Amino acid sequence: MLGIRLFFIGLIATALAGGGFYVMKLQKDNAILKANAIKMESAIADQKTLIENQKKDFEAILTANKEMNDLIGKLKTDFADLDKRFNKKNRDVGLLAIQKTKAIERITNAASVKANRCIEIASGSPLTEKEINATKKSEINTECPSIANPNYIPY
Amino acid sequence: MEQLQWHIITSENAAEVFAKLEADGIDPVLWGLTDKDFELLAKNFAQIRNKMVETNAILEKYQEYYESEEETKE
Repeated sequence: MLGIRLFFIGLIATALAGGGFYVMKLQKDNAILKANAIKMESAIADQKTLIENQKKDFEAILTANKEMNDLIGKLKTDFADLDKRFNKKNRDVGLLAIQKTKAIERITNAASVKANRCIEIASGSPLTEKEINATKKSEINTECPSIANPNYIPY
Repeated sequence: MEQLQWHIITSENAAEVFAKLEADGIDPVLWGLTDKDFELLAKNFAQIRNKMVETNAILEKYQEYYESEEETKE
């Protein structure tokens, strides 16, 4: 009889101890899971920041590309205008220079002054008030209006 | 930049141009270009200028990007 009692007492004590260990294990697992969850949340937040930054970079690159393409387009227009000045409607500058030597010499020297100014601007020289405020054809630097006269809209 | 003076010489005014140079105390010698070569020179000049503008614009964009990044870090 005593043996059976001892057996049951032992069984209960073992069950209690097992339960206790199991609860402790669960608590330990829970702590690990909580720590992992915190790490995961932190990693997700980092990834979100990274994605946002990449998105911002991508938008900045797109904007920069668009601005560069606009600038290149304007420079091409300037170059096409220069070509027109030499070849518009089969114009022969050589023949014009023979016929109107003094006038063409004057025009050439005036254009040369403007072209020099264009190089200065392209090298970083700040624009003058006169250049900034130029809006009429008669006021602009005809050699490079795209960089010399930001407020001039071709008409 | 230094300004330079262009002289247009034709078969008709050549003597007059050289005489004027001598009268102004300038050596009567000129470096010549045909009308076609003058056109090419003008276009080469424009192409160099455009390349400078493009390169400067690219540098400015990089500067904007990296300087704004530094500001964000600070």
